[in-house]
Parts: sequence; C-alpha cells; structure tokens
Amino acid sequence: MKRDKKEEEAGGNPFFNLEKSSVLQDARTFNETPVNAKKCCFILTKIMYILNQGEPLGKTEATEAFFAMTKLFQSKDTTLRRLVYLCIKLMADIADDVIIVTSSLTKDMTGKEDQFRAPAIRALCRITDGSMLQSIERYMKQAIVDKDPSVSSAALASALHLAQQNNDVVKRWVNEAQEAVNSDNIMVQYHALGLLYHIRKSDKLAVTKMVSKFTRHTLKSPYAFCQLIRISCKLLEDDDLGCEGPLYEFIEGCLRHKSEMVIYEAAHAIVNLKKTSTKELGPAISVLQLFCGSSKPTLRFAAVRTLNKVAMKHPAAVTTCNVDLENLITDSNRSIATLAITTLLKIGNESSVDR
Amino acid sequence: MEPGLLDPSMYLVKGILIMDNDGNRLFARYYDSLFPTVKEQKVFEKSLFSKTHKTNAEILMLEGLICIYRSSVDLLFYVIGSAQENELILVSVLNCIHESISTLLRKNVEKRALLDNMDGVFLAIDEICDSGLILECDPAIVSQRACFRMDDLPLGEQTIASVIQSAKDQIKWPLLK
Repeated sequence: MKRDKKEEEAGGNPFFNLEKSSVLQDARTFNETPVNAKKCCFILTKIMYILNQGEPLGKTEATEAFFAMTKLFQSKDTTLRRLVYLCIKLMADIADDVIIVTSSLTKDMTGKEDQFRAPAIRALCRITDGSMLQSIERYMKQAIVDKDPSVSSAALASALHLAQQNNDVVKRWVNEAQEAVNSDNIMVQYHALGLLYHIRKSDKLAVTKMVSKFTRHTLKSPYAFCQLIRISCKLLEDDDLGCEGPLYEFIEGCLRHKSEMVIYEAAHAIVNLKKTSTKELGPAISVLQLFCGSSKPTLRFAAVRTLNKVAMKHPAAVTTCNVDLENLITDSNRSIATLAITTLLKIGNESSVDR
Repeated sequence: MEPGLLDPSMYLVKGILIMDNDGNRLFARYYDSLFPTVKEQKVFEKSLFSKTHKTNAEILMLEGLICIYRSSVDLLFYVIGSAQENELILVSVLNCIHESISTLLRKNVEKRALLDNMDGVFLAIDEICDSGLILECDPAIVSQRACFRMDDLPLGEQTIASVIQSAKDQIKWPLLK
C-alpha cells in the first residue's frame, strides 16, 4: 500500500528522487567486463539527468566517474558510445584530466564508423586546450571538407567554439571553410559561412568581398541567408551607409525570398537600420502587414513587435497598418494584443495631431 | 551597434527546456550565462511556467527574452532566445525538437514515454543544438544521427505480460488526464 503511494508520487518517473551518491556508486559498474551496454546506458542517463537537474558534482566524484566512463570505450554499442560522448562534454568542465580520452576520440573521429565521427569531433573539441589543438589540427582540416555533412558541420561548429580561445589556430582553416561553403548541404553552408565570417570579421575588406560574392551567387540555406543579412547590416552600419548600393539591394531583395524566416529577417533589418527613411520602409511594412493576418501566432507576434519598433521612430509609416493592428487587439495571445495596443497608441498620437 | 540590430553571431539559442505539467524541470540546458546559478534558473522556470502552462499562446517575452513554447499532453517544450532574435528561427528549432522527440517516442509525446527514453532525448537535442549554435533543423536527419533504437525489441520476443502491461498503460493514461 505504502509502496503504491510512493510510485504514484513518482508518477512513473524512473529518475524520481535519485540519490547522487548512489548513482555515482552505480558508475562502478562501468569497470566490469564485458560491458553491459543496456545497464551502462541507463546509468549514464541517470548521471546526465542529475547534472541536468542542477545537482552540483564535486571535482573528485566527477573525475572518478569520468575515469570509470573511459572503460566504456571497449563496447561497440552505438547508443552507449553516443551517451559516453555526451557525458564527456557535460563533464569536460567539471572533471580533472579529461584529456585522457583524447586518443580514444581521435580514433573514433578518423575511424570507419560514420555514426561516431561527427559526435567524436564535437566531444574532442570540448576537451581540447590550446596546446593540444596543434596535434588535432590536421584531422580538423580534413573533417571540415569531409563528404559527410554531419562530419563537416560538426567540425565547423566545433571550430567556431574553439575560435573563442584559440583564434589564431582556427584562422589557418580558412581554405577548408571556403571549400565547405560551396557544399550542397544547407546546414554545412550555414556553418561554413558563420566560420568564414568569424575568421574575417576584423578585416572589413575581406568581409565586403565575401558578402558581395554570396549576395550574387545565391545561397540555398535560409539560415545562411539570415546570417548574410545580419552581416550586410553590420557593414552598412559600420560604414554609415544609406539605403543605396548592392548591400541594401540585397537585403531588400530578400523581402521576396520564399522562406518566411528570411523575409522577416530582411524586414526586421530594414526597420532597424539607422538610415532608413519612411519611403524605404514601405516594402518592409507591407510584408509585416501581411504577417499580421497570419494564422501562426509567432508570425503575428514577430510582425507586431517589429511594427511597434517602427512606430517609435516613424509613426506615420505604420498608419497603413491601422486596421490590421486593431484586429490584433483582441488576439488570444496577450503579448500580441499588448504590443498592438501600444503601437496604436504611438501612431494614434501622431495622426490625431495631423488631423 | 544599435541594440535593435543583431550582431552576426552564430549563437542564437539561449536555452532549451522541457517541463512537465507541474512545472518540474525534465530537461534544461542554458547555453549562455543568462542565469549563472541553478537557483536563478529555477526562478526563471517557475515564472515561465506560471505564464505558459494554461495558455497555448506559443510565444511570449519574459525578462527580456523571447520564449517560444509548445505543449503536448502533459509536457511543455520551450526554446529561448534573445529579445532581438528572429522568432521564426527559434520556432524552427522548437518544431525540430518536438518532431524528433515525437519520432523517438513513436508519437506518444507524454511524460511517461519521455522519461523512459531520456537517453534519446539527450542525444536528439545534442544533435539539434550545440552550445547555442543550431546544428541541424531537419527532424528526419536528427532522428537518423541520434541513432534512435527503433528496433528495441521485436514484438515476438516481448513477453505476453509486458504487452498487456503496455496496453494497460495506454488505456489508463488518457483516462487519468
């Protein structure tokens, strides 16, 4: 009877009231041979669940669990190996001497098992410090231009993370990133563009060249498009340019893109550029007006939030959206309704003065 | 740069959360030092939950952050981004999380099934978002890369008792809600 009640409280939660110490005790199972994959998977999941709950893990206990975990590299079980990679990443900052797994991960990263390569790269880059980076540089360069998009993406993303501490080394990978940006895979293209920009961002000429190249030869990925719009905006603002020239034309052209994400990014950019005048706002505002009538709450929210911004600087430009905004006052989403009301108040003041 | 415009950073996602319908954290990852301590995270989660658990509004601003959410039976999924972020990008991340998990749980997106497949949830989200950087947004690719164990046990090998138990669970659950 009592037990039933307890189970009910847990709501069938296998992780209810997990004791940190007992889970870490369980981690000793990792030392057994042969490895019981299923059991070890469950223990790793429990460790991650505890970490995820915000339970602090001491350095000593984390290191102990980490070292026990290294034994699991013996097993060939796919899920287990993947969970080990994940745990390595989670514990990278807590445990000591995590570089002990470098050779195991390097082996997996260059190995035959395709499924292991990408996550191994990501885990490896998490535990690598500046001095170790040199030794894996060759593999990273290869991985960036790998045919498998998951490997290429993982290497590019990891390079971006690494660049935060070791910018000089990552800068040498520019040729590989350049090659990856031509990939057919949309995510690889996006990550490569992000890395290229990061490498070149202090060199304005190089960024300008890169942007003008991509604005002409169209990218496939909507994410890459959004990124390119942001880069173009930064260039426009840094040079204090107005709404002329190829960069602005590119952003404006994006208002006619087929992906809503890109259209909104472009409209948002135009509205927020310092130098846009009421006339140039026109096309962006018509797009946002259209979004106001969308059935998707997020789209309506995005539109009304941006219109609210415009109303602060150019209230007159928003008056065309009066009716659409009035419709949104009764929106079931309170944030949307509130934003619509405040926007109307801003344009209301101005137009009533006009009248 | 003006605060209204976004810096061309690749780190777009500030956090991903999954809560149950009591507001308990089932999954939480913050990719930014927005909330440096667990205590602050929990405070944020509490206010987020109180503002979202009974409405199905999909989006709200909270503490200067955009929070996109979606509920499913007894679960709430959240993706959090900065106030200037493109909401539609965040929605694409949320949809990918939801659909990948739906594949993992064979369309049974509810707390019980989620907890039974927590390893898959960790793996899937790791494939979608890497330290705040969007890694992949196609749920089919995510499912494939996270190597969900689709063939856990062939039906023939399950004991009759376990089949009956799972059938019972499936009948019982909708009634309890």
